[in-house]
Amino acid sequence: MTGLAVVTGAGGGLGRCLALELVRRGVPVVGFGRRAAALDQTAELAGPGFTPMVVDVADAAAVAAAFAALPAPVTILVNNAAVYPRLDVLDECPAGFMQTVAVNLGGMVACTDAALRQMVPVGRGRIVNVASFADLAPLPASSAYAVSKGAARIYTRTLVADLGDRFPGIVVTDWLPGMLATGMGIAGGLDPAIAARWGATLALWHDPALNGALFEQDRELLPPRSLKGRIKDRLLMRPRRVARRLS
Amino acid sequence: MTGEDWDIIIIGTGIGGGTIGRRLAERGQRVLFVEQGPDSPRTEETPLNAALADPVARAVRGFWPDPVLGRIDGQDRRFFAPLGAGVGGSSVFYAATLEPPAPHDLDDSIDRPHPTGGWPVSYADLRPFLEEAAAMYGVGSPAPPLGAADTAIMRRLTAKGLHPQRLQAGVRYLDGCKECFGRKCPRPCKMDGRSAGVDPALATGNATLLDRCEVTALRGAGRMVSHVEALHKGKPVTLRGKQVVLAAGAFGSPRLLLSAADWPGGCANGSGLVGRNLMFHLNEMFAIWPGGGFRGASKAVGLRDLYHLDGQRYGMVQAMGIAASYGEITHYLRAMLDQTRLRRLSGLVRLPALAASRLLGNAAVFVGLLEDMPRPENRVLPDPANAAQIRFEYTMPQELLNRRKAFRRHIRAAFKGQFPLFLNRGPALNFGHPCGTVRFGTDPATSVLDPDCRAHDLDNLWVVDASFFPTSMGVNPSLTIAANALRVADRMLE
Repeated sequence: MTGLAVVTGAGGGLGRCLALELVRRGVPVVGFGRRAAALDQTAELAGPGFTPMVVDVADAAAVAAAFAALPAPVTILVNNAAVYPRLDVLDECPAGFMQTVAVNLGGMVACTDAALRQMVPVGRGRIVNVASFADLAPLPASSAYAVSKGAARIYTRTLVADLGDRFPGIVVTDWLPGMLATGMGIAGGLDPAIAARWGATLALWHDPALNGALFEQDRELLPPRSLKGRIKDRLLMRPRRVARRLS
Repeated sequence: MTGEDWDIIIIGTGIGGGTIGRRLAERGQRVLFVEQGPDSPRTEETPLNAALADPVARAVRGFWPDPVLGRIDGQDRRFFAPLGAGVGGSSVFYAATLEPPAPHDLDDSIDRPHPTGGWPVSYADLRPFLEEAAAMYGVGSPAPPLGAADTAIMRRLTAKGLHPQRLQAGVRYLDGCKECFGRKCPRPCKMDGRSAGVDPALATGNATLLDRCEVTALRGAGRMVSHVEALHKGKPVTLRGKQVVLAAGAFGSPRLLLSAADWPGGCANGSGLVGRNLMFHLNEMFAIWPGGGFRGASKAVGLRDLYHLDGQRYGMVQAMGIAASYGEITHYLRAMLDQTRLRRLSGLVRLPALAASRLLGNAAVFVGLLEDMPRPENRVLPDPANAAQIRFEYTMPQELLNRRKAFRRHIRAAFKGQFPLFLNRGPALNFGHPCGTVRFGTDPATSVLDPDCRAHDLDNLWVVDASFFPTSMGVNPSLTIAANALRVADRMLE
């Protein structure tokens, strides 16, 4: 996959590492972020392949304007921007909760919508959504984050339901980078630069068979199969599905 | 768009509407295409999917959004027919088989008497238009050589004294052609009502397309249609043109005529025949195993040896473009069992199907098209509850069932040695091939349209979809529809 990548949340953490890794591999990157100074730091580290754009992904109009101002049509979108306010439900307020949803889910929807308007006319594109297990067994003090990230994974599945049969060349994949040593992650987590290598490989891997796939770190997570289903598969000599790898 | 007075309004953009619109626009006419479905992004590769039920999702993809209602052999059925509703109509999903009819499909002769005494246009008269349409649709473009499976199938048939041929396909085989049979082609490669009709028409600058525009009524009086009422994206609009061409399909065109209340009994219906003589083809689907573990679908092989045999009218036998692997065979076997008393055993079909696919490799699926005959009691009806509803009645006569039995016998004999396995047990109507419901002829008492496909009863109304067929022929309808559209365009320009 070549062309122009847009990475959201490129001013720090995993987003910065993803932008750097893609630029290192020769892909021009436009990085979205709210803080100009942080984006400038990414630009300094990345060199001329990186273009910063100050955009709040929660602001759909600003996102649309930013996509309209891109130097070339977007071919790769990495929806990475997210916030994780640690708040107990009793300390959260409805407005604050919805603000988190506006960034984590709304930002993904706004960027995907704007990117699709450039990808559909050519029938080709790559979208990687940075996802989380937060919805499966939510940690305490994560309500807005867990809800929005869970909804974001549903959003990926709806994209596949609406577009998968019509535009097989627009490939959407969820990626769980794991617990990272970033501002949003944990101190003992994985180096985001390592995770970014997997993420960049996934973003550059354009194969219609990846539509709707889910990757955790460097390997694919296959949908669970029941014992009965597995026995049936063996009896009918169905080929076993093998998880794909990124490294 | 709506304030203008167009030279020609064309309702429907399938093979018929697209082809005539292109020709008329190329000849300087100001053409308005009115299409019920969407002008969807040109990059779509959507396959036709009968399992998708949501009407909005179906409409977006250019599928006919709603189920059709059919009373078939006295039983009411409600199902999704393989019909399109978007720019290009059903043809954007077709397999681009553009085989010409045989002379006996049109002509009456002593050897091969025609069931209606012959079409009002002879095969010789239509032939130059068939050739022109074939050229327009890219037939004869340099194609990749036949695959190993097709070659093996051809060899076996030839060894039996039969005459297999490469099917005429409306495909230009551009670099990287994926042979988009059964799905939309994202490039001007597969030639259909959109890529060979509407798109080049729009490129002339003389044509305009109004999509998501559903015609609700033909209005007028006496011998003239004065205007067309429609809902454009839900808003009522009035469209005016000097001439009106109906190309809404053999379900849609009679439905619009019958519901036109400005004329007693419907528009152009002095004969009382609008909607009647509905025909389909019967599909006899079968899998064959060419042996040698060949992979890949065949869409290339056709056979005319059984088209007309022992004084009987059958039809073409041709590859369907499906390679049936284990999954498909299972599905078909199960569907077959479901029609019998063994339906409780349908879980067991996997093992024989698996064994077959392991031992014999993938099967190629073929279909025999069996000609249907016109009968006035088989017909399209307006639905008083919902004017947009496709509704029809169809009864299979014994004559057809007998001919079907004989056809299957001939198929079995022709493919003996290639393990032909019939995939449908009962008669299978091809709901993608409706025709005959606004037939043309010389006598206003026994036909709706004159030999030029203009309504006997009106001066400015023409019909160019498969409705005009007096008989269903033994071949895919598309090339004949396209050829006739070119012929009618010439008449309109005179």
